[in-house]
Amino acid sequence: MMSDTNRKPKPRPAPESLPYWQTAREHRLALPKCEACQQFWFPPSRTCPHCLSTRFSFETVSGKGKIYSFVTFHRVYRPAFEHDVPYVVALVELDEGPRLLTNILGVAYDQVTCDMRVEVVFDDFDSEISIPKFRPA
Amino acid sequence: MIQDLSPARELRDTCAIVGTATSRLGKVPGVSSLDLIVEAISNALDDAGLKPGDVDGVLCRGPDESYSHHQLVAERLGINASFSTTLTNGGASQIMSVALAVMAIRFGLARTIVCGFGRDTWSRTHSSEEARVRNETRPESMLAREFGPEYGYFGATAAHALGATRHMHLYGTTRDQFGEIAVAFRQHALRNPDASMKKPLTIDDYHNGRLIVAPFGIYDCSLRSDAAGAVIVTSAERAKDLKQPPVLIKGFGFHNNTRGWFADDNMVVTAAKQAGAAAYAMAGLGPQDVDTAQIYDCFTYMVLTQLEDYGFCKKGEGGAFVGSGALRLEGQLPCNTSGGQLSEAHCEGMLQIVEGVRQLRHTYPDHRQVKDAEIALVSGHGGNQVCHSTLILGRA
Repeated sequence: MMSDTNRKPKPRPAPESLPYWQTAREHRLALPKCEACQQFWFPPSRTCPHCLSTRFSFETVSGKGKIYSFVTFHRVYRPAFEHDVPYVVALVELDEGPRLLTNILGVAYDQVTCDMRVEVVFDDFDSEISIPKFRPA
Repeated sequence: MIQDLSPARELRDTCAIVGTATSRLGKVPGVSSLDLIVEAISNALDDAGLKPGDVDGVLCRGPDESYSHHQLVAERLGINASFSTTLTNGGASQIMSVALAVMAIRFGLARTIVCGFGRDTWSRTHSSEEARVRNETRPESMLAREFGPEYGYFGATAAHALGATRHMHLYGTTRDQFGEIAVAFRQHALRNPDASMKKPLTIDDYHNGRLIVAPFGIYDCSLRSDAAGAVIVTSAERAKDLKQPPVLIKGFGFHNNTRGWFADDNMVVTAAKQAGAAAYAMAGLGPQDVDTAQIYDCFTYMVLTQLEDYGFCKKGEGGAFVGSGALRLEGQLPCNTSGGQLSEAHCEGMLQIVEGVRQLRHTYPDHRQVKDAEIALVSGHGGNQVCHSTLILGRA
């Protein structure tokens, strides 16, 4: 099925990432945490990649971290982003360890730097989905 | 990590590449991926002075969405194969197919194997306005559904640009240094009549090029090409009686940072480090022995970081190394001497193997020939940025 390229893509959660999106809708960032080795991981899956335990639960994290790296989109890859360029996509390393792709808000695109401290904010996409994004902390 | 390389060392110099060729390169409207690879294999057989009936193995990578691609290729060649399969390791597949051919031949599973890759990438992304807007080589069902598109994160350019930003942050690497890679390879392409890019490129042109996903501009990005390449592998013994000067397969190595591009420091220290170490150990050689490098240049930055990982300079010194002009034909390490994927054509590493072989045959006119080239190192990279393969070739 082709998605409508004039609308921003709505995340289509895999079954294993549903709890992530359900908690994000409540404006909480929650990631799978292993009950055996106590480590977080991302993206969600049903087996801990650190110890292969299948016992885990989604736990709320601090929402704080730093920018590991980032890029600035100048090319419009989908018409829905035409008015957003130039926009920043960053890989944020949470204080709990996992790294997430995200957008950086609240700062000019040319002022973003590696290792900048950031915190999560939630962008309500529609009545079902809120998208975790980050801003300078 | 491989601890004991002695079994691999026994494969050193047992096999040779005896034929190599490409299809038409660049914009070849109206042909399929299968047409392109069959064209390249057919040309490679001519180059070797062999006929399809002399071939009993087919190892290739399909255009990703094709099922049992090798079977379709063998059918077009009119052969039954003793040993054939399709590899799916992205741009690292092409060297892996050559290594698999060596193993199969050494252990008597086949005698003469064709290895190749081809895809109608330009046609897929430029044949219509819809294709241009979509700009994807893969079907919709293979694309990410979450954790990317909602952020406006699309394409391989952004993934590799994340590595470039981090490298610039850690080591002070500059766009001037990325630009020198693009300029050097363009200079090589201008000497190659088959190359897609025909106009000179200056460092000013590089900086004036439009930004795509910063820090990458248009000239940091490889081409979209209809292209295929092929090589023919047989035993070093049989190679002696064939038409072309054989090029020996001296070493190969592989490593996949399968924890992911975003994990650890994988976007700054690539799997070329371990793949290269294994290939050097098998060949009994080191970076100081390499006369020319044919590096997987999907983006300028990837050349720079691989050169570090292969030990041509230290980690973090790649910028200064390329900035010295080392990659030019007359430089310390002539690199991507056909123009590479940035300026010749993008065939996911297959043309790097073809060029490595051609340089070692010493049949180029002086203005294209790496003087006295005895050893070539070839790299392959892909599979969501983390799969890597290394091939070391030598003159017989």
